[in-house]
Amino acid sequence: MCRTGQQSDPHDADDEKTSDAAFAALLEDSAEELYECAPCGYLSTLMDGTIAKINTTLLDWLGLNREAVVGRMRFTDLLTVGGRLYHETHFAPLLRMQGEIGGVALEIRKADGVRMPVLASSVVKHGATGEPLLIRTTLFDARDRRAYEEELLRARRAAEEAQRQAEADRARLQDALAALQSSLLPDTLPPIPGMESAAHYRTASPDRLGGDFYDVFRLDAARFVFFLGDVCGKGPQAAAVTSLTRYTLRAAALHDPDPASALTTLNRVLHERYSSGDPRYCTAIFGTLEPDPVTGQVTVHLASGGHPPALVLRADGTADFLPTPGGLLVGILPTARFTPATITLGPGDTLLLYTDGLTEARTGESRTDLYGDEALRAFATDQAGRYPQAVMKALTGLLDSFGDGLDDDTALLALGVPASGSREPA
Amino acid sequence: MSPLNIEVRDAPIGPVLEVIGELDYDTSAELRHLLAALPLKPGQRLVLDLARMEFCDSSGISALIAARNHAQSAGADIALAAVPANTLRVLRVVGLDQVFPLHPVAESAIEP
Repeated sequence: MCRTGQQSDPHDADDEKTSDAAFAALLEDSAEELYECAPCGYLSTLMDGTIAKINTTLLDWLGLNREAVVGRMRFTDLLTVGGRLYHETHFAPLLRMQGEIGGVALEIRKADGVRMPVLASSVVKHGATGEPLLIRTTLFDARDRRAYEEELLRARRAAEEAQRQAEADRARLQDALAALQSSLLPDTLPPIPGMESAAHYRTASPDRLGGDFYDVFRLDAARFVFFLGDVCGKGPQAAAVTSLTRYTLRAAALHDPDPASALTTLNRVLHERYSSGDPRYCTAIFGTLEPDPVTGQVTVHLASGGHPPALVLRADGTADFLPTPGGLLVGILPTARFTPATITLGPGDTLLLYTDGLTEARTGESRTDLYGDEALRAFATDQAGRYPQAVMKALTGLLDSFGDGLDDDTALLALGVPASGSREPA
Repeated sequence: MSPLNIEVRDAPIGPVLEVIGELDYDTSAELRHLLAALPLKPGQRLVLDLARMEFCDSSGISALIAARNHAQSAGADIALAAVPANTLRVLRVVGLDQVFPLHPVAESAIEP
């Protein structure tokens, strides 16, 4: 406490005395005043709880007269039913045992029935011979604190509810994503007489719908259709294009299975749908398979629209790209040229289709250190002559080895003619 | 330095955009936004000078196609100049080498 504000002259003893008194009056005039008007409730009870003394602050809180309380009520009479119960079971026994107890949250009931939260501390006063004489209790107004705690509780409940909601939303969204994703790819590949097939889809990020697609289905008694491609972009917009692409190609195949015709139909659909604003397009290889049950050979007609060339893995241990140069991206121009190619797969040969997620996987620090076409061809050469499933297993291992280097989704489709002389049994 | 920097200059035949740095998923929107605000008159030629483009992924290719669409809708022409070898390879795979007039250097692209 600072006294410099008094401006007293140290040489004037009388003045000093007067100002000391004034200061004392400012501080606290009496202990009695302090007791009665303290910012907390004071209460002294006999050991049986009968109230012997109570201060004005507490009486004001309770809305009771001193006469109605002192000698007539017990401490527990001031409490709510719950408070009384807690007093009997915890507060009083602990107080008896320890001689003091501090900071216990209780509720007192005011004359008008309103409850008021308080923090109670009590000590037992002992006589000269150590016998307990009375209990002194202090009650602090805990209304602000209670309000604060309730606010905290409310906020916590709101946060928990929000989190529950967010988790439910997320689960619903994932279900929706899974349903959508499954509409973009076939669950299983149909069995093709005289052929084996294997497919793999690797998504670069699990939360993003992919833009790659493939499909294989029976066209008629003699032929099957396959396609694989890559829609530009990622996310829901790309997925919508992917879905449109898959079902357009399916429908186009039924109408006219000529590969260049099917891609032309897709080109018109995509260009008409997305020509204004954001260009949406895809690359795709579309083809038909015609197994010859007599020779065991399969005739493949295919066409490419801007897609990386397919690889042909031969039974003799070689692998080469099947060039389809000049085929344009599907959907960017009103009319486009698609490059056809025809090959025959004999026993032990496999046709491998892939998207550029594979060839553009990063293999070094720089963004331009990419896996590349030649590395893929070399890898395919090592796999030549093996069954499609074995080739696919090796390729998924290759994808694993890229780790973080796999920036884009990758779709793989292998279609092969098994041979008794293959390096892998079925 | 930003991964992508685009410098615009005016040639007699039309605007020349020099694409410097990486044109990818994260940056291609910059080129698209710039194109959307780029005034083009019928008969002009929009030249994209790619001599200093260090990287171009499929989003970058999309932005090039968007540039072509923008030029076409304005009745203008488009040309690519000094396409880096990697990007040229991609353009060939997707058939765009037949769609975009290609010039070895910007100087030849701005000749009428």
